[in-house]
This record gives sequence, C-alpha cells and structure tokens, in this order.
Amino acid sequence: MNVKVNKEEIVIFRGATAKHAILRYILKNRLDTKSVDNITIYDRYGHQIDQDAPLKEGSVITFKFN
Amino acid sequence: MRRKILFLLAGLLLIAGTTAQGQNIAASYKTDIHIVSANDMHAAFENFPQLAAVVDSLRAIDQQTMILAAGDNRTGNPLCDLYEISSFPMVALMNYVGFDATTYGNHEFDGGQYNLARLTNLSNFAYLCANAFADPKFGIQNQPYKFFDVNGVKVCVLGIVQIGSHGRPDTHPKNVEGIRFEPVEETIQKYLYLRDKCDVFILLSHIGYDDDVKMAEKFPQFDLIVGGHSHTQIDGGEIHNGVLITQNVNKLKRITYTTLTVENGKVTAKSAKNIEVEKYPKKNATVQNMVDYFSANPEFKRVLAQVEAPFSTYEELGCLMADAIREESGSDLSFANYGGVRYDEHPVGGFTVNDALRLDPFGNNAIVMNITGEEFRQMIIACFYADEMRFPLISGAKAEVTYTDESKRKIKDVKLFTPDGKKLDLKKIYKVVGNSYATTVSDSPRRDQGEDTNRQTADMLMKYLEKVKKINYQGVTCITHKF
Repeated sequence: MNVKVNKEEIVIFRGATAKHAILRYILKNRLDTKSVDNITIYDRYGHQIDQDAPLKEGSVITFKFN
Repeated sequence: MRRKILFLLAGLLLIAGTTAQGQNIAASYKTDIHIVSANDMHAAFENFPQLAAVVDSLRAIDQQTMILAAGDNRTGNPLCDLYEISSFPMVALMNYVGFDATTYGNHEFDGGQYNLARLTNLSNFAYLCANAFADPKFGIQNQPYKFFDVNGVKVCVLGIVQIGSHGRPDTHPKNVEGIRFEPVEETIQKYLYLRDKCDVFILLSHIGYDDDVKMAEKFPQFDLIVGGHSHTQIDGGEIHNGVLITQNVNKLKRITYTTLTVENGKVTAKSAKNIEVEKYPKKNATVQNMVDYFSANPEFKRVLAQVEAPFSTYEELGCLMADAIREESGSDLSFANYGGVRYDEHPVGGFTVNDALRLDPFGNNAIVMNITGEEFRQMIIACFYADEMRFPLISGAKAEVTYTDESKRKIKDVKLFTPDGKKLDLKKIYKVVGNSYATTVSDSPRRDQGEDTNRQTADMLMKYLEKVKKINYQGVTCITHKF
C-alpha cells in the first residue's frame, strides 16, 4: 500500500503500522534506524499517534526527532 | 392532613403521566453524566492499578460514572494473550474496575471464535457491536446496543467495529470464519431510530479517527463518539458537526473523562479532558495483586518440544525460526533477520514458552508476499545491508554468499539453491514469509510488498514446536560464506 511519511511516498506491506512506514522512510533517507525509538509521530491533522497506530492506503503521517 | 395526601397523590400522578407519555424523568431537570473511556488497551494490564485508582476517585464524585472501552482490549502482551483462556486477565480486570460496555476491536477476534465466546460469557460488561453477526453455534454473547440509566438519564450506546479492505476486521481470516460483517455506515443508518428513544446517544466505535469524523459529519444524531483503532491522541475532545469525538493513544497511557449536561431530555453542554493513567501517582492495591497474580503465569514454563542436541549458534536457532514461520504459513521460502535471533545457546531438554518468547520477543507479525526467486534474492541482500551486514537465516532454500573480502561487509554475489542442491528458479513466483521488521527494512524492488497475516512469529514458532515435539538443529546451516 502507499502512504506518505513527511510528504514522501512510501510503499509498504498492507497492514503496516506507523513504525514500519517510518522505518522505511529512515532507510530510504539513510538515517539511523535506531532513531525510530526517539520520535514523535502525528497524523495528517496534527494529532499525536503512537508507533503501533495502524495505517491504511493513503495514510499521511509526519514525524520529528525528539 | 387529607388535603396533604391528595396533593401528594396529584404529584405522583403527574410524574406517572409524564413517564407514560414516553418522556424520561431526566426531562424535568438538569443533570450531568460522566463517562470514562479507554481505547486500544492492548492488554497493558500493568496500567490497571492506576486506572482503578483513577476510577475510584471519579466514582467518589459520581457513583454512576460510566466506563466504556472502544475495542482492542487484548493482544500485545504475552502474559495476557497466552493465558489458559487467552485474554482472560483483561476480562477479569475490566470486571473488577466495573466497565459497563466495550465494542469489538479487530483484535477482539484474535483468539478465535470459541475464545471470544468464553470471554463474552465471563464478562460482567456488555459487548456492543451492530455490524458483526456470529453463527450462534459459537455462543458469542453480544448485542448491537444497550440502554443505560445514568443518574436518571437514558443513555443508549451503539457499538461498531472496523471493516478492512477484505470485508472483515484486520485479524487472521480463520478467526472470523462464521462471523458475518456489514458496512459501518449502512449499519448506523439502521439504528438511527434509537435517537428518539434516549436522552444521550453514543457511538462506541472502533473504526479510527478519520471515519469517526466522517460518521459525525453524516450522523449529527450522536451526542458523542467514543473512538478507537487509529491510536489518535485527541486533546480532550473535538466537536465535529456538533458531535463530540474522543480517543487516546494505545496501551492505557491516558483515558478520556467526558461530562455531558442533560437538560429537558437533551444534551446542552459537553466537554472532555484527558487523564494520565500510566503516570498516575496512585494504585489500587487489590488490582495490583490481581496483576501480580496474572504476571506469574505458569503457562510460561510449559514445555513445547524436547531439544535432543544442544543449540550453540545464532544460525541454528535462526534456522529453527525460519523453518517455523515457513511451515506455519504454508510458504515456499522464508527469512529471518539475524538481529532478530536473541540468543545463541539452548541446552538439551525442554524448550518452553518462555524460551520461545525470549528468542523472538519483539511481537513481530508474519508478512506473506508472492515474489520471484530473484526478488527474494534481492530482498535478502537488502536485509543483509539493513541488519548490520549480517546475512538473514532462510528456510526452503540454501544460500551461497560470496563477499568482496574477508571483512564480510560487502556482498559480491548470492546464489540460491533448493534444499536438494539444485539452482533455485529465479523467475518462478514463490510464496515468501518474513517477520514484519525484516520485511520492512529489506527495501528492495518487488512486485508484492506483502500483507500482514495478523499472526505473531513467536506464536508460529510455538505452534511449530508443539507439532514437531522433538528438535535437533546441531550443525544445521542454511548459508555458505565464500570470499
């Protein structure tokens, strides 16, 4: 399925959580995968969501490092 | 005296008459009702002593404070999931704290139909879900809605569960065989008549924030939507089209405390605030004792299989893990990231539940994809680079890895062979399984990114060990390293 992380298109397995999509983003951008444990994630409306939040086709999330 | 009795009788008749006309007693006065709501608790029962203390203090203010759960009460904590009756600890704790109702989350189905039936029969609270219809043979106890009398206010709670892209909640398909699901919006439409039969109309929803907002836009008949599924942290509550929506992130970090003011049979004011649970400074001692009891689960010492020869390398244990998920998912090929194998030794003797959970402790799910042999080859190469230059363990094939030099930090070539030594057909499409972490970090081009089976790899390992009963992986290898 296709989701957006920090405005970037990510293709990931169906049923992925926010953490999976962000891991893909981190790898794609050659960042440290361990940093995934130190981030805050938001949905498209700016609500905070947790790493286990389920995503669906077209989900839009953003994250920032703490 | 006689005049006084007549006056009293006239008063009683007036009240009786009002009630007979179908109006509620609450219509004649203004009152507040309070609702505590939790969602996506995912068996985080370590936070229940704090939750119970919060509820104790709120019920000291209003004895009739309602407590609602918006689904996914279970799944995510082996102490709970592996209990003799899977997830019974959550039911016992929810009973003690005094939950009034829950809806189904997609994970309520994870234990299968008969497990759900046992849980619903052991629960003192109602399971409300209007769009799930189970075959009566299972004995699952649920109802679409329920009326509650709260401080004289007639409250109706309608339950609804998420329907995924396959027309069922996101759980393993086997768990919902014999249960029919209907679309959310059409279902709600059928129950809108309830609006006229209550003072307060609540949707207890496990459909996610986006869809909660859509339902609020379509159905202003609801006073409140208590939401779950998307793990969305709403600051207190949000009003959409006049409907208050609430939700919190998962694992009982917070709850929402909602106050509805009811006047003349209508909600005239509504507000909601979050209460920290995880960091709440007080604990209910009885609930803490219950949590301690459930945490000392003897199930963890149960022997799944006998180890006939000792394990002495990560590769031997990784091969076991890769074999287990391949066999249990009925796949042709599987892979397990080296970093996901958490120990490298196991003596002869019993391999217990605890051993399996220590070996695979991350709660990863199995992801199944249909890809070519070449795409599989590219994926395990990508896994190597993402996993600190460690080659993944595979099952269903053997790999011959050639490195550019002895440092083994760069791969020159990977050849794949069938278990009987023939070259693997790289053009053929295979059913491949990997854990959710390894599948995510193995970012290589492939036709199918795969789909979550909603089965944990640790659970598959345990099922596999129970089936094979005896294991001997001494000297087993799936990779040949060359320079």
